[in-house]
Amino acid sequence: MQPNNSTSKRAEFWTGVRDELPLLLGVTPFGLVFGVLGLASGLSPLQTILLSSILFGGASQVVFAQMWGGGVPLPIIGASISIVNSRHILYGASMAPYLRSLPLRWRVPLAYLLTDEAYAVSIKRFRDGQPSQEKHYHLLGTGLTLWVCWQLSTIVGVVFGATIPESWSLGFALPLTFIALVAPAIRKRADLVACVTAGVLSIAGQSLPWKSWIILAALGGIAAGWLVHLAAKPKPQDDNGSGA
Amino acid sequence: MIWWLMIGCGMLTFAARFVMFSDISPKRLPSWLEDALGFVPIAVLTAIIVPAVLISPDNEVNFVGNSHLLAAIVAIAAALFTRSVLVTICVGLTTLWGLEWLLF
Repeated sequence: MQPNNSTSKRAEFWTGVRDELPLLLGVTPFGLVFGVLGLASGLSPLQTILLSSILFGGASQVVFAQMWGGGVPLPIIGASISIVNSRHILYGASMAPYLRSLPLRWRVPLAYLLTDEAYAVSIKRFRDGQPSQEKHYHLLGTGLTLWVCWQLSTIVGVVFGATIPESWSLGFALPLTFIALVAPAIRKRADLVACVTAGVLSIAGQSLPWKSWIILAALGGIAAGWLVHLAAKPKPQDDNGSGA
Repeated sequence: MIWWLMIGCGMLTFAARFVMFSDISPKRLPSWLEDALGFVPIAVLTAIIVPAVLISPDNEVNFVGNSHLLAAIVAIAAALFTRSVLVTICVGLTTLWGLEWLLF
């Protein structure tokens, strides 16, 4: 009755690899740009490259490099990284029902590989309703594909970054990457409020010490978006109480 | 020291990814927290974008004659239409180079 077990594992894994490939078009330039940015922030080539495997998260690596380059005290760097990363708790929560019964030797590497791009692709497979005991191989496939691409593009960025002249403004590719991620994500009014609030606070807070405007703008944007979301949400009593 | 900082931040990153997979964490996030965390990407990324676009190398906020701002606006349109990171980067950089070459 059951399909051959190792065949379905392999099939899941390779489906994950294949599903991830289109996203590499966006990840590769980001990795290249991070390689360039790392060097520009005063990290050594080795530190820049290893940051991509130790942190393995584009936005947190950017914040790390900017803050390290700006001589920010360590606790502020840690706090900023934690805020940037807190979105992963959300991804973990939505994947947990599918992965929590796995042994630790699976959960630890899968958690390490859990990035925005792997999550976005694998959660669709997890939720598509086709029963399989081997769905975690899909996340292994998406996660490893992204990992390899991220490491390689960082290395290429570090190797060639030093030779690219400043006048090319290649550093501008970084905000452009984030624009490509944020602009299509703004769907509701609460999203827009979060975006505008974070933007205004990021400029208003420029005079704060230790680049702590990142924390101010991020927390302010989250709070503003959340409040608007809360106000827009229909109250539970309205849903079922009105007909009585 | 930087190596310790890198490892420490790596552990913070891993912790955020692992916390809901652990045996002792609650099975579900409280819904208010789930809602709030949904705004993290937009808020964090915007906080990085806006100063990178508006603040000049000499630390002044620049609206007028800011080629980066114009290029960013064109890039936002490209992002909304194509939803492609690669196209957005290409359009934004090409616009910036064009503006700097033509005007500034």
